[in-house]
Amino acid sequence: MLFTTPTFVAFLAITLIFFYVLPKPARRYLLLTASLVFYMAWKAKFVLLLLTLITTDYFAALWIVHKEGKARRIALLVSLTANIGFLGYFKYTNFLRDIVGFQPVDIILPLGISFHTFQSISYVIDVYRGEQPAITSYLDYALFVSFFPQLVAGPIVRAKEFFHDYFNWGPPTAEEWQRGFAMILTGFIKKLVFADQFALAADRYFIDPRAIHGILPAWTASIAFALQIFFDFSGYTDIAIGVALLFGFHFPENFRRPYLAASITEFWHRWHMTLSGWLRDYVYISLGGNRKGKLRTYANLLMTMLIGGLWHGASWNFVIWGGYHGLVLSIERVVWGRGEHRGIIRIPLAMLTFLIATVGWVFFRAKTLNAAIYVIGQMFAGRNFGISMLSSVQVHLAVAALIVALAEEYNVILTQLAQAPAWARTIAAVLALFAIELFTATDRSIPFVYFQF
Amino acid sequence: MLWSLAAILFYFASEAAIFRTGWYEDWLEPNSTAGEVEYHMRWLKRAKRAKVPEVLIVGDSRMAEGFSALTAGAEVNGKLHFTNFGVPGSAPRVWYYMVRDADPDRNRFSTIAIAFDEYSDQDWGEDPRNRREDVNYLAGRLEIDDCFDFADSFPKTSLRPEILTQCFFKGVALRSDVQAFLSDIPDRIARAKDWRNNGGGYIEGYEGKPEELTGLTADLEKREINFPPDLKDWQTNTVRSTVLPEQVRQTGALTNYRKEWIGSIVDLYKGSNTRLVFFQIPRAPWPIPEPSTRARFIESVAAQKNILIISPDTFKDLERPEVFADGLHLNKAGREIFSKRIAERLASQ
Repeated sequence: MLFTTPTFVAFLAITLIFFYVLPKPARRYLLLTASLVFYMAWKAKFVLLLLTLITTDYFAALWIVHKEGKARRIALLVSLTANIGFLGYFKYTNFLRDIVGFQPVDIILPLGISFHTFQSISYVIDVYRGEQPAITSYLDYALFVSFFPQLVAGPIVRAKEFFHDYFNWGPPTAEEWQRGFAMILTGFIKKLVFADQFALAADRYFIDPRAIHGILPAWTASIAFALQIFFDFSGYTDIAIGVALLFGFHFPENFRRPYLAASITEFWHRWHMTLSGWLRDYVYISLGGNRKGKLRTYANLLMTMLIGGLWHGASWNFVIWGGYHGLVLSIERVVWGRGEHRGIIRIPLAMLTFLIATVGWVFFRAKTLNAAIYVIGQMFAGRNFGISMLSSVQVHLAVAALIVALAEEYNVILTQLAQAPAWARTIAAVLALFAIELFTATDRSIPFVYFQF
Repeated sequence: MLWSLAAILFYFASEAAIFRTGWYEDWLEPNSTAGEVEYHMRWLKRAKRAKVPEVLIVGDSRMAEGFSALTAGAEVNGKLHFTNFGVPGSAPRVWYYMVRDADPDRNRFSTIAIAFDEYSDQDWGEDPRNRREDVNYLAGRLEIDDCFDFADSFPKTSLRPEILTQCFFKGVALRSDVQAFLSDIPDRIARAKDWRNNGGGYIEGYEGKPEELTGLTADLEKREINFPPDLKDWQTNTVRSTVLPEQVRQTGALTNYRKEWIGSIVDLYKGSNTRLVFFQIPRAPWPIPEPSTRARFIESVAAQKNILIISPDTFKDLERPEVFADGLHLNKAGREIFSKRIAERLASQ
């Protein structure tokens, strides 16, 4: 059930109506049922996998708080093994078989497994570290893992964030209702108008890069994909955050205009922030972080990003993508330390950062490693110039997006709009609805890129 | 919350004002699916009722190319007034809504003649009931209370939400048209105005395609076609598709489709004074055999009082390359002959 389909809109409307009509104690049952229905709309049988992991982690956390010493560690190990084991089986079996030369087997990747396993792992580790009390109600814990706005593609919500809202639940304020709807609308526009439009350009090239030679097609298609994946994923996240807000839950921010970052380090503080935070807290810091000398810090950065790359997908392309980012992060740490860039220097640095990120996206988008290497070759050593893959509409959209991003960065438009009179906000919402109706890029439903993870 | 609801209501109202009052239909691209339908509807509504019996000819591009209302009228000395509702790419589901709205009182036409590509209910491939373009053709015709029935007429359940959305929110069905409109507003306004005011005349004055296929031969047993020189791809491709069609699995989908939509036109005129005439057009530029699939729909309505079924052999002598422009459409000469013959036939029976 894609967020941008009429089926989901109907599902959301019905769930919201029942949520506010039912008495408060019944609402958690409704949300849990709705979440499981949402998940089962994809492939019903995989709900068993989800429930297995929920059950394992629920009891593991209880075991951790009720036992001491080795038993706690065993419970943690059981939970980690279950989560990483299922994730590994479904996601990495064929990658490993390929490495040792076996034929691939037919394995369907369960929807959202990368997200809900990470969410569960963070809960159990937090309980183990004593940073999070174990949840005693099975239904409450099941709802935390399966809550439908974040189930399939994040943001990766921490237990303390979710249960803070859950146990202190209050209805959304008028401002939150408005913000929730505004975020849903923004998400729809990002996905249907922007992401799907850039997908047309990227898909046309990446379906067979060798068919279109030249420097310009390679760069413009890669830029198109850079824009597609941003609008696609941040659009999904906006909808998820907006939907959660309508139910009275405050999800963390996941994107903060990443392409305005002046370094790759800053980029990762703005891109998929809940994953970056997760990798920092549960991988980088666990590896020692920056406490064990410079060389170890660089090695830890590289290792963390390699794991981050592998989390995205099981192929050498993702390993290289992660390694590439780890390498750039390490180089930046050597050259600039942890300093921030301010002033006019940010402009050329932001442009450079965007191009560095774009080169990385080639590995993310290309079907094979050979194709990625070919595209990189065309970008930097193509024999002819070629033609742009971006149409004039797409260029206009990219410029418009840049203007809006800059305005948002300096609180010019959106802040003023939030404080504008109600009639102005109403007109803005109506225009947004018309934008979704009339400027959706394509009639076919393009799945969100991050669904494959 | 209240303002969010107000925004949604305001949006619904604005959407209806633009797309449900007929305002936007005035500016549709003339050469578009919805535009073809809407301009035909407007010309018909604007035309004064004729003093002689009116005949509506319904069909797809083969009637748009192959039939001239002027020639037909002249052939019967103005005793009948013909209107050509031949819309390229249209199909029976589209025809039903066009006829329904063209004649709301069911008393305007003495005859409605519907062109069949073949009486046989032979399936051609994709199930016509799942043709999603129909919602685009009918963007200007479908009312709110049509939407559920219309969506239900698509057997593929995964299509229904999409069709329902496009029916409720016409802007979705007309999205490409609106985007093209906004990309060059003055040009669209000029062309839409011209087509609205003069398009009916342009269509009446149209003489047909000059191309012909003289020299074309086919050996159906060997499945070989000999083309005359210098044909274009659109000619050779369409000739192959009609002279040597691919065999597809017969599912009965076309029978059901015709029963549902041409059957609905039959139902509209039950008990009226309007006669429904079905005829089989020249099928291909070479004599092709009769399909083995029975004409089940035709058989099911043949006995009804106000229905006349013209023999399928009537125009078979026109299945020759000299009167075809490509594999599907009659050319200028074919249009002249066919228009006269169908007019004579309708006037005499």
